[in-house]
Amino acid sequence: MLESLSDNRASIAAVLILLILAAFVVSLVIGKRQSRLRAKDEVFGDPQRTRGGWYWALLGVCTILLTWFYFSWGVGRAYFPQTANEMCQIAKLDETLSPITARLPIESRYYKSTLLVSRNTTQLETLESSLPVEAFTEQEQTELLALIENSRQLIVNSSDPANLNQEAQVQFEKLSGEIETLSADLRKGSEGLEPTAEALAQPKWGVSSTEIPILPTTSRGVLFDQVASKSEAITAAFVKVRNHIPANDALIADTKERLAALKEANESGSFDEKTTEARNAYVKAVDRIFKRLDDGLIFPSKSLDTINAAITDLHDAKNDAKGNLTLIDAVFFPGKGVVKSKTQCTEQGSARWLPKPTDVVATFGKLANPNLEDGGGYRGFPLLWWKWLPVADVTGFLFPDWIADAWPGEYARHGSDGSIDPNFKDKLLAFAEGEVNLGSIPMLDGHIWDSLFRVLVALALGILLGVPLGLFMGVSKFFKSFFDPLIELYRPVPPLAWAPLILTIFGIKDDGKIFLLFMVAFAIMVISARTGASGTQLSKIRAAHSLGSTDRQIMWNVIFPNALPEILTGIRIAIGVCWGTLVAAEMLAGTTGVGFIENIARTVSDYELIWVTILIMGILGLVFDLMMRWVIDKTIPWRGKG
Amino acid sequence: MINTFKKALVAAAITAGAVTSVQAADEVNVAFFLEWATPNMIAKTDGSYADAMGVDVNWVDFTTGTAMTEAMLAGDIDISYSQGLAPFVTAIQQGAPLKMVGIAVVYEANDCFVRNGLGIDSSNASELEGKTVAVPLNTMADFAFRKYMAHYDVDISTMNIVDQAPPDGAKSLADGAVDMACIFGGASAKAAGEVGTPIMSTQAKVDAGIGSFDVVSVTEKFATENPELVKSFLEATDEYNSAFKGTDEQYEIIATAAGMDLETTKSQVDAFILPSNKEQMEQFFGEGGLAAEGAASLGLVFSDESDKEALAKTIDGSFLE
Repeated sequence: MLESLSDNRASIAAVLILLILAAFVVSLVIGKRQSRLRAKDEVFGDPQRTRGGWYWALLGVCTILLTWFYFSWGVGRAYFPQTANEMCQIAKLDETLSPITARLPIESRYYKSTLLVSRNTTQLETLESSLPVEAFTEQEQTELLALIENSRQLIVNSSDPANLNQEAQVQFEKLSGEIETLSADLRKGSEGLEPTAEALAQPKWGVSSTEIPILPTTSRGVLFDQVASKSEAITAAFVKVRNHIPANDALIADTKERLAALKEANESGSFDEKTTEARNAYVKAVDRIFKRLDDGLIFPSKSLDTINAAITDLHDAKNDAKGNLTLIDAVFFPGKGVVKSKTQCTEQGSARWLPKPTDVVATFGKLANPNLEDGGGYRGFPLLWWKWLPVADVTGFLFPDWIADAWPGEYARHGSDGSIDPNFKDKLLAFAEGEVNLGSIPMLDGHIWDSLFRVLVALALGILLGVPLGLFMGVSKFFKSFFDPLIELYRPVPPLAWAPLILTIFGIKDDGKIFLLFMVAFAIMVISARTGASGTQLSKIRAAHSLGSTDRQIMWNVIFPNALPEILTGIRIAIGVCWGTLVAAEMLAGTTGVGFIENIARTVSDYELIWVTILIMGILGLVFDLMMRWVIDKTIPWRGKG
Repeated sequence: MINTFKKALVAAAITAGAVTSVQAADEVNVAFFLEWATPNMIAKTDGSYADAMGVDVNWVDFTTGTAMTEAMLAGDIDISYSQGLAPFVTAIQQGAPLKMVGIAVVYEANDCFVRNGLGIDSSNASELEGKTVAVPLNTMADFAFRKYMAHYDVDISTMNIVDQAPPDGAKSLADGAVDMACIFGGASAKAAGEVGTPIMSTQAKVDAGIGSFDVVSVTEKFATENPELVKSFLEATDEYNSAFKGTDEQYEIIATAAGMDLETTKSQVDAFILPSNKEQMEQFFGEGGLAAEGAASLGLVFSDESDKEALAKTIDGSFLE
């Protein structure tokens, strides 16, 4: 069931996108109509006006989802599931031809030969003008200048079409002819071409760790693939062609010999250190440029014209054969398009870091699978599940080890026959360490629960300690003045700044992480409770007092209810900030948790996993906030209506 | 008036385009790490690479190998010198069009320090089972940790593995919160060395064949379009490495280029092994060479579905010839 859902994610997305689009239109229409209906009888600024409006919420969600689908190429994959594979085949062709294209003015403005000529001529000029006269004898100087002139002559000879190596000329014409047959192949079209069974058996786009399957799965793809593989031989032959000409051969041999003589003179001669260095460097520089010119890579520009025309024609033929692909690529695959690497094709552009919604759901499904043997969970822990928790673990936690240590007597030793006979002290220790069988209770388990547990415990402690302190600070001079400097001093410090201390003080267990979150929640709760308490109207307190209320009654029945709106808003803020700090807290010493998953995913740029954790945290935060809104509605219905 | 303005604008745009395009064909962008003292920093400083390759060479410094990958995918970087094996393998697993064309440096694998006083060393390493270990997950230190444990036959699944950055791991080791900490980076390793002892000695690591190396990686596009530049880059690097004599003057140039003090630079350079192009061909890029083997076993650390063959296809020693 899950398997087939996962395999057909493209078609599922196609249906989903249509539904979302429909919901988008419907909610927009309803929203417009409702606004028009109420436009006249509403007062601007009336908070009651913000109530309701589910259609705008729906519109917002649809907008997010549609944008997400579009920029992650989800729309493209849903309606054109074969396009990426076809673009991959075109990328293959471009890649195999790229050594030829790189030498032609197709993606650049000049022939590579032109660039080589201009670059080397400039460098020869610089070399000539920088000859260190003091390091060489006059005779050597003339020799060096002659050698530079030799190099220049190499360029001149290579650039002259009259000198062009016959073999190279023949080869170029032959290759042009072969390229033309490729163009003809492309123009013939893809009729009668069938993808192989092996290609069709590949996992679909995005289903496995290979993003886009590399073998062609459509007849158009097969066409491009075939042309690409045929062009391999052409490219290989083209790269081997060299412009070796007889006029240069003599020059090269001569230059080599004279350079060798100069090197010899450098080594055998006795010069001071500085001169040797200058001589070596200069001869080497001359040699280096010479070596760049002796391999026959410069061709007369005319000789390449036939190849250039053939490749340009091939590009035209390719664009014709692409047909509607060009348009689909431009509209539905925003970004750099499909790029071929050695073993697969990948999405480049926004789709690289923004996984498709369906893929994120699939990854979430895989993580949420509680069956660890079946590849579920993450790093040996389920996402959210339950387990049997031995009761002894709980008692072991409550009953400290030192009680067993303090018990009179010695722990048992192993006897002469190798047996160990535990005494009462041993049994007490086993109990304290939770190594006895007291039955089990069901308990939640997994990464989400661990994160949730940390946040909830920290929040509960923050509320339990922060609210009373805040209330007292609002009413008592001692509490206000005594605690104010303390809290105001630590509150502005970002939680991460405490991290190194917490690691040392609390170690690597949960208590450190909880303490970090607690510090965040505590400050917020104190501030909000204090603001609420000190904001109570004096007339209300005096009225209660004059009616004979005790201090306790004033606190419980007047000040606390008055501070409640502030306190509840504080809790809402604290929940948000706690989730925000969680990733940092779980970075301290991560073993489990949603923040831990994100930290690990980041190191391998696993964008799907990163988005899953972002969504989990977002959704959990949203659920908490909705719960808090409900609580606020129930407990302080009078708020904003005073 | 507006027409003239438009024309001028178009002309300006065309000129700008022409200039950048010619430049683009005439320069190479190389990524490198600061605080990673390789001898070719001397050649980088005096501009020898530009002479050797015949094009302008721009050096851009990075702090992580993952950032190098991102820059290469964006087309801003052509060659990454000394990218870590870990980010390279990760990039390949994500389908990035990169290839490994050479080995930059070989260095000792990161250490795992066992807390002194536990009485555990290489002779009774199996006692580590059931203990707590701090490991910066998915790094070369993680890779080294798995290699050590496999070497001593210790069952990792029994251990409580905690993900900690090296400075935190060193601190937890000192606090006694963990029993072993795997560390990379000079300062953290020094701190961990105060309270712990490496589980495997340098010699034992060499004997067991456990080591780390950084690679030279290029984009597929650059390699197919400018093979001669890749070749001349590797050739030049080989030349500068062999020309390195270790004089004080040279160390000073490297220290300035790497942005470190002389002392650290010296010890770092001396700990590096720089295989020549010939040695690379023989040891790393041949049939069943160290490059493919290292990448394959590292790949398994990051993902259970790691494909050895796919990784091997992105390793290409042909530019070293």
